[in-house]
Amino acid sequence: MERVGGWLVRGYLGLVLVFLYLPIAVMIVMAFNRSPLYELPIVFDTVWFQALAKNERLLTAGFNSLWIAIANTIIATALGTMAALAFQRYSFRGRTLMQLLLFPPITIPWLIIGTSMLVMFFWLGIGRGLHAMLLGHVALSIPYVIVVVGARLKSFGTALEEAAATLGANPWQTFWRISAPVMAPGVVAAALFAFAVSFDQFVISYFLAPPGVSTLPVEIYSAIRKGFTPEVNAISTIIIVVSMGLMLLFARLYRFGGER
Amino acid sequence: MDVQQRRRIAIVGLTAPAYLWLALAVFLPLSAMLYFSFLTVAPFGGREAELTLKHYRAFIDKPLYRDLAWISLKLGFHVTLICVLMGYPAALALARYVKGRWREALFLLVVLPFWSNALVRTFSWTMVLRGDGLVDRMIQAVLPWAPSLDLLFSYPAVVIGLVHAYLPYMILTCYISLQAIDDSLIEAARSLGASGATAFRRVILPLSVPGLIAGTVLIFVPVIGSFMEPRILGGPRAATMLGTVIEEQFTRIFNWPFGAALSFILLGIVLLILALSYPLLRRPMQAM
Amino acid sequence: MKRTIFGVATAAVMAIASLASTPANAGGELHVLNWQGYGTDEAWAVKMFEERTGVKVVHDYFNSEQEMLTKLRTSPGTYDVVLINSSFTAAAAAEGVLQPVDPSKIANFGDLNPTLRDSPLFVVDGKLYGIAWVWGMTSVAYNTNTITEQPDSIEALWDPKYAGRVGWRDDAVESVSMAAIATGQDMNHPADLDKVREKLMALKNQIKTFWSSEDEWNKYFAAKDFDIAVYWSGSAARSKTNSGLPVGFVVPKEGAIGWFDGLSIAKDAPNVDAAHAFINFMVDPEFYVQWATTVGAPASANMKANQGLPEGDMGRAIHSDEAAIKRLQFMAPLSDEERAKYQELWDEAKASFAQ
Repeated sequence: MERVGGWLVRGYLGLVLVFLYLPIAVMIVMAFNRSPLYELPIVFDTVWFQALAKNERLLTAGFNSLWIAIANTIIATALGTMAALAFQRYSFRGRTLMQLLLFPPITIPWLIIGTSMLVMFFWLGIGRGLHAMLLGHVALSIPYVIVVVGARLKSFGTALEEAAATLGANPWQTFWRISAPVMAPGVVAAALFAFAVSFDQFVISYFLAPPGVSTLPVEIYSAIRKGFTPEVNAISTIIIVVSMGLMLLFARLYRFGGER
Repeated sequence: MDVQQRRRIAIVGLTAPAYLWLALAVFLPLSAMLYFSFLTVAPFGGREAELTLKHYRAFIDKPLYRDLAWISLKLGFHVTLICVLMGYPAALALARYVKGRWREALFLLVVLPFWSNALVRTFSWTMVLRGDGLVDRMIQAVLPWAPSLDLLFSYPAVVIGLVHAYLPYMILTCYISLQAIDDSLIEAARSLGASGATAFRRVILPLSVPGLIAGTVLIFVPVIGSFMEPRILGGPRAATMLGTVIEEQFTRIFNWPFGAALSFILLGIVLLILALSYPLLRRPMQAM
Repeated sequence: MKRTIFGVATAAVMAIASLASTPANAGGELHVLNWQGYGTDEAWAVKMFEERTGVKVVHDYFNSEQEMLTKLRTSPGTYDVVLINSSFTAAAAAEGVLQPVDPSKIANFGDLNPTLRDSPLFVVDGKLYGIAWVWGMTSVAYNTNTITEQPDSIEALWDPKYAGRVGWRDDAVESVSMAAIATGQDMNHPADLDKVREKLMALKNQIKTFWSSEDEWNKYFAAKDFDIAVYWSGSAARSKTNSGLPVGFVVPKEGAIGWFDGLSIAKDAPNVDAAHAFINFMVDPEFYVQWATTVGAPASANMKANQGLPEGDMGRAIHSDEAAIKRLQFMAPLSDEERAKYQELWDEAKASFAQ
């Protein structure tokens, strides 16, 4: 009975994955379709990848997005994890207020935040530029990191850490040998979130990018107004394939969340 | 240094960097916006601005905005509910029924769609859902006499698009919560005579609540302010939500104060819902 | 008192900000702010200009007039040439984000259509703030294969036989204008807004989908999502000529919307001389004819340039139809309050579609 239940559940997981990948499959297939207007039937052609190779604008934008996202992930994950630790391991006055303050960045539409950043940075003399964009991206990623790592820490509980403390471990030892491995899956998940938030971030990049500099989501959005050719599908396909490769590599090298 | 002081330094040291960053980049700009929401016009280009409550009153006086808020809340509920129903079992499957290398690989596969561009993804949905699109063709391949579903440009299309975009959040947060549950707790429950279902109900579910809550928050909150999916998938009948109207105050007309006011009202609604559901959540949270 | 303090504080901060921000590169660069893919960023044109003047052209884009204004307000000293629709130029100038254009530096100035060139919409306090560049109409386009007889009334958009087959643009001002024309009113300041609202709500069963760019329009039209739609004149010509779609275009007897775009120069533009040279290049027949024939464009404000188009060109035909032009109402400046009112009206109509 257990076995059948197990297989049913795994089959369900498969269906969910099919759902998740349906539009992605369509996106990839259309990258190889000759028609510029996405008309069926599918005629296989790599013409869009060739066009992409010559599309300096799109490629530069893609690399800009990549570097900003990497910087963003490192900073946001570090800052957010520290804050999540503080929230889950200590109880102090003002903690609830600080947790509530995480809601505005998630609730208020990014358009408002983007516009207000533009105005405030203009008034403060920070202006537009890569530094401003990074400032904005990290700020939007931090709440996600705190929430995700926090959920992980909360589920895990403090039992192990308390046990370590009673056994005489100092805070450093407790952190590195108990807390860190416990947090790790949460931190990794949060980092993946942060990367996604930044890589796909349209509004902040749009408002704060200096003229002449662009990121991938901004380029794609503008391309849609002008003419949405499958070059966009081509670069998206490359991103998915490369990400998949990186992730599988990562999974081979680092077993996280494995058996205990 | 005594314990109290060390503790205080730890708390400040851990939270200060993140919150200083947020203060400069988000809270300060948003307070400017909050200030704007009480002005008659945004103070640019020689415009004279006065303090007023009229933008907030417009929400109360004009049924249009209340109706839109209600539609947006409904959208949030529908999408979040479906994400919970679809995502939690998937996370459960991943955390408890998949072992070894497969688990990591599938976990990463769930995350991968995040990294595709949201706009391109949404446009791909138009190709899947439109009349004579992928879904229609698949149905016709099996049942040739079936009429066209033509799901595009409708409320269900918006829901599908949003569920697809936000489902990974739920699966992920539930997964990392579920996966944190010590197997020995389950074994203990079983050895005490609990059936699979009871062990689930009384051990696994309560311990995974933080993940459910985190997922709910990360999904419900942005969805009620969304404007991209409604615009692209909704068509004339489902494209107008509070999010799109807020966007219009900035991109179609120069009415920042009103857009800001609507956004803060949105925030207020979210916090209100949070406050109302807190008593319900306190129990299971405290049980841990 | 509060206003003065606020004004002084803003001025002080802006002064500090202008010191802190890095100055734009004035020696040999030209910054242009425009819609993407709207003529000024044509690769061959940019190359031509760069080769002749040695000035590098850098583009920044906007997706709506409001975004253009936001960028102008928050990035002083960044942009040189800005594309502004004539109904926005005077307001932008009055706000202080533009500087006057010197017509003596525009060699082609004399060849521009006087109605557009000398339009009061470009003039504030006796100074000229925009050079008329292109113009066009927003009217009714239809599928010539499925609608064999050319519709002559704007009521065709409301005709039940086209229910669910109409394409529309999600723009409040445009929608109010079309409804005003259909109810026989002044499209810019309709007296009876209730009638306008009713007319818009009557579109409930008509509209299949909204389109927001020429490319989207083409994709929907090619997928046969709509047979009749609101559309731009230059784009209709382009869709037929370049994309080979069966598009017909008509200005109905009740009238349609006319508009024209101008090129302006931002205040504190780093490279004013190059800005003038670029504007002159844009209204020159050499640029326009190539743009219109190879890519497709709205009508040029330069009469000589229009005559440079080939005889059978659909764009040329549409834009020289004197009788149709007489039926047009041209877009006029609107106050912020009017825009807000129309936006709310349109939002009410859209919300009613959901019921």
